[in-house]
Amino acid sequence: MQEASWLAVGFEIALLVGALAVLLVAVVAGKSPKYWAPVAGFAFLAAAAIGVLQWGAVSNGDGGLFFSAAGVSIALSPMVVMDGLSAFGSILLGLVGFVGMLGSWDLVSKLKNRAPEFVALTLLAYAGLHMMIVSPNLVVIFVGLETASISFYILAGFMRESSESDESALKYFLLGSLASGMFIYGVALTFAATGSLTIYGANSIRDFFSTTIITDPGILLVGLALMLVGILFKISAAPFHQWAPDVYQGAPSAAVGIMASGVKIAGFAVLARIFAGGFVAQIDVWAPIMAGIAALSMIVGTATALVQTDMKRLLAYSGVAHSGYLLAAMVAGIDGVPAMWFYVSTYAFMIIGAFTVVSIVCGPGSTSAPISAFKGLAKRDPLMGWLLTVLMFGMSGLPFFAGFVGKVFAFVSAGEAGYLWLALVGALTTVVGFAFYLRIVSMLFSSPDDSKTPLRVSVPARIAVAISGVVTVAFGIVPWPLLDVVREALPL
Amino acid sequence: MPVLSILILLPVVGAVVVALLPSRRTELVYPVSIGMSIFPLVVASYILWNFSSGDASFQFTEHIVLIESFGISWTLGVDGISLFMVALTTLLFPVSIAASRSITDRTKTYMVLMLLLETGVLGVFLVLDLFVFFAFFEIVLIPMYLLISMWGSDNRAYASLKFVLFTAAGSAFLFVSVIGLGLMTGDEVGTLANFDFRNMLNLDLSSNTQLLLFLGFGIAFAIKIPLFPFHTWLPDAHTEAPTAGSVVLAGVLLKLGAYGLLRFNLTLFPEAAVDLALPVAVLGVVGIVYGAAVAVVQPDIKRLVAYSSVSHMGFVVLGIFAFTTQGLSGSIVLMISHGLTTGALFLLIGMIYERTHTRKIADYGGLAKVMPVYAGIFLFSAFASAGLPGLSGFVGEFTVLIGAYITLPVLAIIAAGGVIIAAIYLLWAYERVFTGAVINEKLEGLKDLGFREIATLAPLIVLIVGIGVYPKPIFDRVEPSVEIILDRIEAATDFAVPDFGRRADLADTEYNETSDESVDEEREG
Repeated sequence: MQEASWLAVGFEIALLVGALAVLLVAVVAGKSPKYWAPVAGFAFLAAAAIGVLQWGAVSNGDGGLFFSAAGVSIALSPMVVMDGLSAFGSILLGLVGFVGMLGSWDLVSKLKNRAPEFVALTLLAYAGLHMMIVSPNLVVIFVGLETASISFYILAGFMRESSESDESALKYFLLGSLASGMFIYGVALTFAATGSLTIYGANSIRDFFSTTIITDPGILLVGLALMLVGILFKISAAPFHQWAPDVYQGAPSAAVGIMASGVKIAGFAVLARIFAGGFVAQIDVWAPIMAGIAALSMIVGTATALVQTDMKRLLAYSGVAHSGYLLAAMVAGIDGVPAMWFYVSTYAFMIIGAFTVVSIVCGPGSTSAPISAFKGLAKRDPLMGWLLTVLMFGMSGLPFFAGFVGKVFAFVSAGEAGYLWLALVGALTTVVGFAFYLRIVSMLFSSPDDSKTPLRVSVPARIAVAISGVVTVAFGIVPWPLLDVVREALPL
Repeated sequence: MPVLSILILLPVVGAVVVALLPSRRTELVYPVSIGMSIFPLVVASYILWNFSSGDASFQFTEHIVLIESFGISWTLGVDGISLFMVALTTLLFPVSIAASRSITDRTKTYMVLMLLLETGVLGVFLVLDLFVFFAFFEIVLIPMYLLISMWGSDNRAYASLKFVLFTAAGSAFLFVSVIGLGLMTGDEVGTLANFDFRNMLNLDLSSNTQLLLFLGFGIAFAIKIPLFPFHTWLPDAHTEAPTAGSVVLAGVLLKLGAYGLLRFNLTLFPEAAVDLALPVAVLGVVGIVYGAAVAVVQPDIKRLVAYSSVSHMGFVVLGIFAFTTQGLSGSIVLMISHGLTTGALFLLIGMIYERTHTRKIADYGGLAKVMPVYAGIFLFSAFASAGLPGLSGFVGEFTVLIGAYITLPVLAIIAAGGVIIAAIYLLWAYERVFTGAVINEKLEGLKDLGFREIATLAPLIVLIVGIGVYPKPIFDRVEPSVEIILDRIEAATDFAVPDFGRRADLADTEYNETSDESVDEEREG
């Protein structure tokens, strides 16, 4: 066991330094995003590059556990783990954050004085998200969760002059805190049951289960259930999804994409870490629950998305369904992690792209985004229209788009684990999902109301949407490079 | 040379070329698109020419492993069953693109979608990896959806969505069945999953599994065909689609379902196929009679032809589930014929619609006086569709009826009644539209078919006559592939395929009535 490694925490360092640098540059050089925005972008790219280095180190066998506080207390060691899961998380969060920054360019230029804060908070939030993935210690995971959550509460309420945005932030804060509280209570009960807070290392939870059989697992099960609920809330799985549409609706569009994608990535990675990695022994207990939640999320998310008239709410509900598909992969435990990674990494780009288009069409700080606003988008700006079409096809799970491949592998994992019925529920809800995704597509291609007002699209936003579109198509037609990578992106 | 890969990818290349045409030169789009759609036809002709008849195995095979652990591969091959489907596809696409002269709005997008659609359809017919097959089967929906919803007529939003939801709902079951089958095959070959059709043939499935998977596959294909009672999407989609969309939909897309039944349901799940043959065949016959009867009373001529498709596809299903050489090969010929005749009818309806902008039969009358050439070709296509001897429809329907009569005599007799109703709805429609006096003054002075329009129809007419007069080349290539399907069924179940007309036994067999009856009892019992 190594003591310290700069590389293992390089992602966090890059983003924290980036956050400070953004604030400093904004003070010293001037408020114009021209000066400090590249710093933020560079920080994300650097973080992703560090992720690649971590990946290299892990494949060379240099991964492992770091920052053990062995002298202090057995319960606190170790703090950081560098494995396929955390390295891939670095790469993915870095890239997604970069695209998110590009996509929020319009918002940033509109915010003027407050813009550096917005960007710095995004960087902090992503650092927190990665802390969740990179730590084997349940308390540090909680600290990461709170770092990210608190930053996101602020981002959700960033348009404070709009009462909807305030409502969004408050709702997110109240319900989010409740979920965080549940999570930490679950951690405490787990500690009570196992005497350990860490998943790996000496005296770890895994060690505990390899030597002990709990005859009366009541406390452990309550602990597990509370932790699960805490995470399910964050990833907006039904029935813990009620906050999502209101928060999505009230938050500035550009921020929602950053939020939705990042939280999904970290939330599912941490599920993989804790449940598929740590509590493998209890898979017969938590997998059926997860399967039930998955089916419920697919059904509820799809059914409610059908009747939405607002694009942001629709994407929120469809996000619930996507959480269901992702959970379907997770019921297979460690075997489902590659499928989960493939799905979440492509979905993250799709959702960022989609919200970037929303922010382009309805204004970056807008809270409402009626679907009718997208009428004739393909005529007003053909590129944006087609890209959003691609993203909708991708999310709906049509073949030759990334969403299809992701769903197939999720369902194959579920089927292999004995949950083929989940695949059937998934396939049927996917079909129902076509109805609302295609409704948007046909809206894009109908004639616009206001004759032909061309759309003003900034170059960074255009690039962000284009990257999302390319990812959706490229990994839909040629999925195997990514599949080969995610197969190694497993928890230790 | 990977001929089949080239064939599948050529339309995509064409689509890219069309998409890259300078947007100011709109006049280039139409000729270039036709040119691009000719290339696949050339390659298909090459395949047709070099296909060795009498060989039942897959030819021109290609096999590239894409994802080893999931057992997904790019496996292609063509046999007697898919050969003519491919030929029909590559023929109908240039024809329907050529018939799209009237598309002036977003022509480029339209042509790109048509070419992408062709790739999807060719993929379905040629791919032998079920995962990739499913991807192609499903992807066909997107261009078709966009074609209907962007260039369709008034009720297009409803019709296009209905089309997608109906067919995709069936695909959901197909999807799960494919995954289940893939996982089982994976256990057999030692990977997580395996989707190679040829590996799946070696599976030994229990009868319950067969039944479930048969239904899973079957529902998807039944909706696509469409088999009664899953046909309700079809009249809407056909009626609202632009002309080329209707031609492709009727000519090619419906065949995807029947092809799937033949290729997968019969070979992979022979036990279940034999058990369920009677109910499925009954649904086919109900479709024949119901489709024909409903067609009689349609006020909209395009809807009439759409319902006639339900009727014709019922014959195809009946032929398939008769499990006789004649039934199976007849249904393939009937599919080809249906593609040609219905394609021609939809083209003709499109041509008159461009002139009058109405599809109501009541708005017409005496058209033969105004447009004699048009009337002649329409009558010819109607006869071909109704199954006049000497034309392709007769060959298909007659062979199917013979095949069905051997094992399912009652159903065959009822089905034969469908042929009579077909003559009623087609000729009655002809009478109302073309004969008598010109009652609608709008019809006066309509221009008869021009050279371009006749040239579009010509290849279909030639083939309708050609197949009608001399279908032997088709039967020669189809029958070996049909025989191995029947051999498989015989090997896997205690069903005995009647010897009558079987190629291998032609020399020394006689039609034996008693053994035939025992077959019937077995089936019903």
